[in-house]
Amino acid sequence: MPETIIIHLTINGTGRSFRTPPGRRLLDLIRDDAGQTGTKEGCGAGECGACTVLLDGLPIPSCLVLAASCEGHEITTVEGLVHDGSPHAVQEAMVETGGVQCGFCTPGVIMTSVALLENSIDDREEQGRRLAGNLCRCTGYEKIFHALEVAGTTDD
Amino acid sequence: MTKIQPPLGGSHRRPDAMAKATGQTRYVGDLALPGMLHAAIAVSDRASARVLNFDVASARRMPGVEAVVTADEIPGDNQVGVIFPDQPLLVTDRVRMVGDRLALVAARTPEEAWDAARAISPAYEDQPGVFDPEKALDETSPTLHGTDNLLHTFQVLRGQTDPDHLDADVIVEAHYEIGGQDHAYLEPQACLAVPEGDRITISASCQCPFYIQQAVARVLAIPLASVRVEQAPTGGAFGGKEDYPSEPAACAAMLAWRTRRPVRLLYSREFDLQVTTKRHAMVVQHRWGADKNGRLVFAEVEAVLDCGAYAGLSTVVAERANVSAIGPYAVPNIMVRTRIAYTNNLFGGAYRGFGAPQVSFAAEATMDTLAHRLGMDPLEFRRINLVTPSDPLTCTDQPLAAPQMAQACLDRAVKDSEEHQIAPRAPDSWRRGRGISLALYGINLHRGGQFLDRSSAVVILQPDASVIVRVGLTEMGQGNLAAVQTVTAAALGIQPDKVQVWQPDTTTVADSGPTVASRGSHSSGRAVLDAIERLRRRLDPIAAELLGCRPEDVELADSCARVSGGGPSVPLIDVTREMAARRIETISTGWYRSKPRVFDEATGMGEPYASYAMACHVVDVAVDPDLGLVRVEHVAAAHDVGRVLHRTAAEGQVEGGVVQAMGWALTEELKLDQGRLLNPSFTDYLIPTSDDAPPVTVALLEDAPGRGPFGSKGLGEPAFIPTAAAIRNAVCAALDVEINRLPLTPPVIVRALAGNHRFKHLME
Ligand code: FES
Ligand code: FES
Repeated sequence: MPETIIIHLTINGTGRSFRTPPGRRLLDLIRDDAGQTGTKEGCGAGECGACTVLLDGLPIPSCLVLAASCEGHEITTVEGLVHDGSPHAVQEAMVETGGVQCGFCTPGVIMTSVALLENSIDDREEQGRRLAGNLCRCTGYEKIFHALEVAGTTDD
Repeated sequence: MTKIQPPLGGSHRRPDAMAKATGQTRYVGDLALPGMLHAAIAVSDRASARVLNFDVASARRMPGVEAVVTADEIPGDNQVGVIFPDQPLLVTDRVRMVGDRLALVAARTPEEAWDAARAISPAYEDQPGVFDPEKALDETSPTLHGTDNLLHTFQVLRGQTDPDHLDADVIVEAHYEIGGQDHAYLEPQACLAVPEGDRITISASCQCPFYIQQAVARVLAIPLASVRVEQAPTGGAFGGKEDYPSEPAACAAMLAWRTRRPVRLLYSREFDLQVTTKRHAMVVQHRWGADKNGRLVFAEVEAVLDCGAYAGLSTVVAERANVSAIGPYAVPNIMVRTRIAYTNNLFGGAYRGFGAPQVSFAAEATMDTLAHRLGMDPLEFRRINLVTPSDPLTCTDQPLAAPQMAQACLDRAVKDSEEHQIAPRAPDSWRRGRGISLALYGINLHRGGQFLDRSSAVVILQPDASVIVRVGLTEMGQGNLAAVQTVTAAALGIQPDKVQVWQPDTTTVADSGPTVASRGSHSSGRAVLDAIERLRRRLDPIAAELLGCRPEDVELADSCARVSGGGPSVPLIDVTREMAARRIETISTGWYRSKPRVFDEATGMGEPYASYAMACHVVDVAVDPDLGLVRVEHVAAAHDVGRVLHRTAAEGQVEGGVVQAMGWALTEELKLDQGRLLNPSFTDYLIPTSDDAPPVTVALLEDAPGRGPFGSKGLGEPAFIPTAAAIRNAVCAALDVEINRLPLTPPVIVRALAGNHRFKHLME
């Protein structure tokens, strides 16, 4: 295996290339190489969802994905949801409803929520099932559900 | 979306929320400095052994390694025990638990550091260990420190306490086995140490920067003033970052001191689960009696806490458990004995509720069992026995200021539960049950910890009428920044967005103790109010001059100074500009300390707490009678909060507390084998997900003012305490069984069904 490889991908709308060891996790590339530290590591094992980012719009745990496997794809992180200084409707809603406490789960929760709303999943039961990969120890999830409701109505 | 509401009791945006939601908040793991090294810790993988020898020379030669430190290189005391000096930072000849530290490594990458740490493996000679807290108290058990394993005994003795004379029409005896719990904060332990000449700065994810300051100064043998600790944004804590972070901080500080470079230490999830403190597992034996009219006659409680290998905060946890063992019930004759036993298990530490959830679980379970034996409705039985204005004494003979709030919380939770339309999520074939539980919560630190109960604040009024506030109590998600911001804004009559509250730093405020015991908004809020009062001695005369009134007639409201009673007003900014122009001091300090209280440790009589809060939870569950699965369908939670400071933050405390307690009650099992945790991952240690979380109806009752700012009371811990017992009572009602252990995992429930289980023939 080569010492390093070059990976090209789009992060938050900007095409970039990185020279990196082939085994690098997408999470480390995002946080350490691209300097986007909004994405968090809560377990490193695909269990907590704190590292969730969107890969071509699909929420994935970036701690389980090899950066090299994202060659040519598009990654969106929590920083990339802010456009021209305006936060995304989900970010606004999470703040407005009190869905943010310690904030460590928040970036991951927000990324999954964005994908839920983009797929028009508005049934609470279904939302609960799909958010189950994003652990939150602080909120009891009630206000996160509320945020989804609020963002769902501001979105359209 | 930027609507501004009057601050007190409102739901204005929390000041820390948007930075967190956009990924701008920098937790320790997001901080990196040029030349920074990464720390790792070599730990014992066995619970009781002699360390014969160990060699770090080969680890020193591993790639990337810059330093390996052992006990003999510690310049100061090799000691990190927060109350008792029983815990070394680095062990030398003996390990007493899995996770005991042997050596510290600093390397260029985290991987290199942990590889080297794992390569350090001493030669051990295994020693017999003790893993059962009751057995640990036998004289024949191997001891951990000194001559026996009994760390301390607390008691409550009230009325007739001779067991031979305690008799009643109906007596319930029960034995409760209550499991521990991991805090499972989403951000694992993390700290960064930066040396600078003869001093050092620590940034840590923590609940008490002052504990860290003391530990680092002790280990490095430098003055307290040479250690600066700033609390980093903290990704959840729940008690797990009260006492424990001193240990990783001392490790990082040692390595930074030695290498003269910044050193960061981040725990992996697995390491965090394996070595950090836990909620104490407890064994509680009950003998409670009631007369045939349903009045409690006596309560006998024998509790043993599994301390684990080091004392940590176990004595203060046990102290709270001891006086919380009876709950909000009037019982004439009480005998509580609470003992703490050293074992070779992982050591217990602070965890939301601090011993009260375990003993409350037992009390509320016994209340249900007694009601059943009496043929009474558990709700009615509770009503008969609650403290009331005519019988307002706690089990320590302390009169409650608002005993009626027990009944008020009960009535409200029952009403909210009955009115809630459950959308059942479990199949029809599951059995349904409802359970109830109450809590009497002593607010702030116990009398034994009162020496810590003080708090410092600094308020700096800016020329543009905005305000900088520093307090000594921490934000860890619970909303202390929002609470302090709200209190400041309300006291100065300005909008909350004009107030910036910055994280604690030991160089800006004096030692304010830990952010625990639901004391954050109380203690920091009161200190801020004191600072503002002192500030106004300088502000009011200037405002009075501008207004043409007497200083004592100045009031602050609507961002103005005005003559009280509706007279003329000037914008506050005119006053602050005038103060700046005249070079008047606009910085002010504030201080809060609780009043001394009387408490007799031998009898447990007196005032363990300054004041109390009540809570009642009513829970609906559905239980699968075949597989023993439990779904919590709804929780109604009524809390006596005094006054709401920030509404969504307060609701969030209750919702989060309920769900965290649900995890403890149902799924969060610490599987220990010879002191080693067998399930150190979120795949095997199950905390509740969004799919498990029930809707929670929160009622915040503001009828009885507390002693906090504007009449508020602490809420973080009472939110947790009643839930588990209410779930247990609901499950037992659904299945018509009696289960006296936690967690209520499917095997526990199936076993309890025994003869009634559909597949009983397979279980024989
Ligand atoms: S850090 Fe990736 S799932 Fe937990
Ligand atoms: S807000 Fe703390 S883990 Fe979700």
